[in-house]
Amino acid sequence: MSVTLKSILPLSLIVALLAGAGLVQQSLNRDRDQLGLTRVQPLENAPPVLAFTTVALGGFRGLISNALWMRATDLQDEDKFFEMAQLADWITKLEPHFVQVWLVQAWNMAYNISVKFKESSPGQFPDRWRWVKAGVELLRDDGLRYNPNETLIYRELAWFFQHKIGQNLDDASMYYKQQWANDMAKVFAKKKPNLDELIHPQTADQKDRARLLRETYKMDPQFMKEVDERYGPLEWRLPEAHAIYWAALGLEKAKENPTKIKEDDLITLRRVIYQSMLLSFQRGRLVSNPFAEAFEFGPNLDIIPKVNFAYEQAAQEDEKNRDHILKAHRNFLRDAVYFLYEYNRLADAGQWYKHLATKYPDKMLLDGKTNSLPANLTLDQYAVARVQGDVSDSGGHDRTKGIVEGMLVNSYRSMALGEDGPAAGFRLLAQRVWSAYESGIPKERHSAIGLNPFEDMDQEVRKRMLDSKEGEPPEVRAVLRTKLGEPPETSAPAAATNAPPEKVSNR
Amino acid sequence: MQPLLAIAWLTWKAAFRFRLFLVVAVLLLGSVVGLPLLIKDDGTARGFTQILLTYTLGTISALLGLSTLWLACGTLARDIEDCTVQVVAIKPIARWQIWLGKWLGIMSLNAALLALSGASVYGLLQWRATRLPADQQKVLRNEVLVARGSVKPASLDKEIQEETDRLLRERLQKNPDSRADIAEARKQILEQIKAEYQVVPPGYMHLWQVELGTAKQIARGQPLFLRLKFNAADKSSSGTFDGRLRVGVPRETPLWHSEVMSLAPDTFHEFEVPANYDDKGVLTVAFLNANNTSLLFPLEDGLEILYRQGGFGLNFVRGLGIIFCWMALLAALGLAAASFLSFPVAAFLSLGVLTLALSSGTISNAVAEGTLMGFNSETGRSGHSVVDVVAIPVFRAVLGVINLAKDFSPIDALSTGRCVTWGELGRAFGQIVLLLGGGIGLIGIIIFNRRELATAQVQ
Repeated sequence: MSVTLKSILPLSLIVALLAGAGLVQQSLNRDRDQLGLTRVQPLENAPPVLAFTTVALGGFRGLISNALWMRATDLQDEDKFFEMAQLADWITKLEPHFVQVWLVQAWNMAYNISVKFKESSPGQFPDRWRWVKAGVELLRDDGLRYNPNETLIYRELAWFFQHKIGQNLDDASMYYKQQWANDMAKVFAKKKPNLDELIHPQTADQKDRARLLRETYKMDPQFMKEVDERYGPLEWRLPEAHAIYWAALGLEKAKENPTKIKEDDLITLRRVIYQSMLLSFQRGRLVSNPFAEAFEFGPNLDIIPKVNFAYEQAAQEDEKNRDHILKAHRNFLRDAVYFLYEYNRLADAGQWYKHLATKYPDKMLLDGKTNSLPANLTLDQYAVARVQGDVSDSGGHDRTKGIVEGMLVNSYRSMALGEDGPAAGFRLLAQRVWSAYESGIPKERHSAIGLNPFEDMDQEVRKRMLDSKEGEPPEVRAVLRTKLGEPPETSAPAAATNAPPEKVSNR
Repeated sequence: MQPLLAIAWLTWKAAFRFRLFLVVAVLLLGSVVGLPLLIKDDGTARGFTQILLTYTLGTISALLGLSTLWLACGTLARDIEDCTVQVVAIKPIARWQIWLGKWLGIMSLNAALLALSGASVYGLLQWRATRLPADQQKVLRNEVLVARGSVKPASLDKEIQEETDRLLRERLQKNPDSRADIAEARKQILEQIKAEYQVVPPGYMHLWQVELGTAKQIARGQPLFLRLKFNAADKSSSGTFDGRLRVGVPRETPLWHSEVMSLAPDTFHEFEVPANYDDKGVLTVAFLNANNTSLLFPLEDGLEILYRQGGFGLNFVRGLGIIFCWMALLAALGLAAASFLSFPVAAFLSLGVLTLALSSGTISNAVAEGTLMGFNSETGRSGHSVVDVVAIPVFRAVLGVINLAKDFSPIDALSTGRCVTWGELGRAFGQIVLLLGGGIGLIGIIIFNRRELATAQVQ
């Protein structure tokens, strides 16, 4: 055999074997995937360096990942957090298909590390927010990129929005909400969210904002609209809407891989949706306060029918937790009736009260009051009793007075903000609480523990709020005066001495 | 001296001839320039600077350490194997001079490479710092690019031990027939007394009086930094606890109050506070526990006062000085191994020793637990083995030797803005270079001196 042939033969054999291996590899990968034999699946959407690293290291990447994890734990114990983002990045990239790694690293950043930081100035928590955002970004930007069908990642991401940012457990939760609203304001151009303009952007600004939404926040405006129609109307500047979005997307992805999904995972996703819808109902409306130059939260009453439907559907689907869900549903209906009443939507309140009575005829409406069954209380009585509950327990004149005055203050403040519904609702409720208290005390005790006439109390509150020295800020007073038809304030000369004022504020 | 310098020069020439200097220099500069592009920081200027310092200096130490070991093993072992050393040995030069000359050569190479990479890191940091917004620059200049000294409250250990002994005596007098485990009883009394000093019940205030000493002069007119850490007896739903700080003494010094702050337990918090110390240089700090649960400030690290002691530049040089001391030890180790082993075996042995030193955590655990058999935290008891009788004292001795070099953490100090003092640098030189390096070097020189060089000839 010639030397040339000796060289060519093995080379040809090598080429043939490599080609054969290449052909077999594809079906092998498919079988491994179907039989669940390995977690080492080909990476989707991975940059070349990562794809190379994961293949080249093979089984050893687990060891390196462990070593990095230990370093991360040691550093965390020593309060050295500056490396954590990098270590989490490496650890997750070494084990990109190990879902728990993503979940633990993201949770660690959003929950454990974030609270280690103190406020930079009163009410300001930029360091904490950075870590909460890092946790969200790790799951959203990288976790889902490599595991686009993992329901657990969707569930965790939705939970961060619902619980970490949405709930009030963290002292910095209001700061988180404000920051998230600021971020979203960039997407929605500081106005009420309009999804259509992001789905079909026309102007350069709209195109930029649509790109920001898709590329930075990884959200699809078309699917947002679907979610909004299915579960909303939602306030997209608040975290609950995003919790619902990611959970709903998780459910959609689950449909693509029905064989790989556990029923429990779907239940947790649905739970995030209806719990976030409840949160959205309770305070899912942003009310602009031009006087404080800030947003305030108000209940989203338009979402009530859909929250109700979500609860009833969840109770039907989740047999194991049905009792808990129905209990939560009843609580929601009680709140819905009360909030509608408070916002002066009496017809809606009456309708939902009827629904509550039909659905739970033998359950107490007021905690601890065994005779407070729907059949025994009218809507008015229920609404007043909700406010009065602790008043009658302590039997307090002072507390009732405080509640009536508080309701009146709320009524005037709502009026100043242009919220006429709640303004009327609070006033009505104040009047009903006053009447209920007055009718409950014997005549001979009236001089001792009776309240002033309601109109007097109203005038007193109004006077205090319009007081130029100790009342509301000038802008609020001006709006109130206009709406109440009172003459504008005359500017009084500044006090020339330090003498005590002639009148003492009643406040 | 001239023979020493001649050998050192030959080592330099060899390093250039084999492109070692060039390769290591490129790698070092590449790591300094390239790492900031690859590393993900926490998004703050402080975090970025800290991670940059940690990673660049860590990489420089690792690269330089490995190249030092490699060169040290190679330069001597190869010379012996290819008989070059025989040509040198017949010259009027002592064996120890050959050995020491090579060490000097390697160290001067290290000095040049360390200076080059150190200057690059320093320049990069300063350049980046100037590009930051003013408020971030202030944070950097006050907390990272600075050399901060530290003062802690006076140790209460003596009082606590005396109080423990007194209470134990009293209890033993009351119960003379007690069969209780005395050591365990003393331990429990000790913990009770320590708790009295550490625990702050709800609504109470904890007071520290810290004598600033010489720091008083240095810190005059400058803000101080309080570093606080506490543990909580219970969990809170928010994960944090409320507290309020006060610095100063009413009617004696200016007073400073913080707002009520939401603070996480088990972590360090730093606060910038005014230097409201009294005429004697005592700073009084009070912490109000505004929670429904008790808080515990550990005696060891519950409170620390940090103050600006000097600039970053000199601190950085001192930090590099300690890294240089480590290199000196590695060079001595490599040369000593090459004095009696072939190049591959010497390199393997040196790397083995280095790995052992770097992974001394297991040894340290065994020594702390007093056994190789492990500690059961549920029963609170350690296992026991006959091997412990020999192994634990040996481990203790090994750990003592390793800690002579490992006791220093210049990278950590530099990245957290802590001062690397001249005293620390001097101690590092004494412990690492003179004691450890000197000892290993002496062994290496003796072996090299007694070695028959011609027998190592490779065909």
